[in-house]
Amino acid sequence: MPEDEIRSLITDEHRALVGVQGEPATVTVREADAHRLRDLCGDDDPRYADGTGIAPPYVISSLGNASRRESPNILPGGLMTQQEWKFTRPFRIGEELTAISQISDIRERLGGRYGYSILITTTTNYYDAEHNHVAAVMMTLTQFDPAGAGETE
Amino acid sequence: MTQRYFEDVVIDEELEPLERIPTVELAGGFSPGQESIMGNRFTDAAVNREIGIRGALVPGPLKIAWLTKYVSDWAGVGAEIASIRVALRRPDVAGKPLILSGRVVDKRISDGVPLVELEVVTLADGQPSVRANVQVRMPARA
Repeated sequence: MPEDEIRSLITDEHRALVGVQGEPATVTVREADAHRLRDLCGDDDPRYADGTGIAPPYVISSLGNASRRESPNILPGGLMTQQEWKFTRPFRIGEELTAISQISDIRERLGGRYGYSILITTTTNYYDAEHNHVAAVMMTLTQFDPAGAGETE
Repeated sequence: MTQRYFEDVVIDEELEPLERIPTVELAGGFSPGQESIMGNRFTDAAVNREIGIRGALVPGPLKIAWLTKYVSDWAGVGAEIASIRVALRRPDVAGKPLILSGRVVDKRISDGVPLVELEVVTLADGQPSVRANVQVRMPARA
């Protein structure tokens, strides 16, 4: 389809979501998740051994994204294309954290592997009981129409 | 696991490449929190045919975790990962080996903290599938 025939699917309603914080959600750094991911990675780092009370940084992938339910589904296909993890301090097994999420950006892209696509970036910050920052995740989900996607082996 | 110190890190130093094989079992075990947005693309190759991918997808967090551990092992237990920022450039499919490699691109003191920055990648068939920048808080000898 010629570019001049493509209309933006991003509406003012979508743009209004950018920067609006979701309701705080409580998440727990679960020992089972920490040990499962550590073992899957074959991680023998003594800092994360049983009994240390410290979880490996990648346990952040199990904490969840409280804002996900607020992200608009504009196109039917979706793949994560960018992600950033930031760590202010190590995770402690069993600690409860407050997750505060927001949509940081919504933009569109023409061309490339997925054709016309929508990029939605969400940011989730995690705070401990003393309101100290512990970590953050920024994730960009690329939404696309599978009918316009190329093929990858 | 060797401990590296800030003073000993050299810009352009290369990390020893490491091969990892993302099996379907690993992919499934690393993605239980993502079914709601990703369906069963990490365990069922047939689901991915509609988006032109021939195989079960390797979850991004698994590759990010491997890169995090790769750099962490290089730095030693006295160092801490401060951040990792990745671009998932191409989908990877389970069963295909990935080569992790990287190099040091910067070192500096920031607000009194010794920081080292590395560029790391996963290579599938010699092509980068994930590119990442990793910042590490390093211990100093002084």
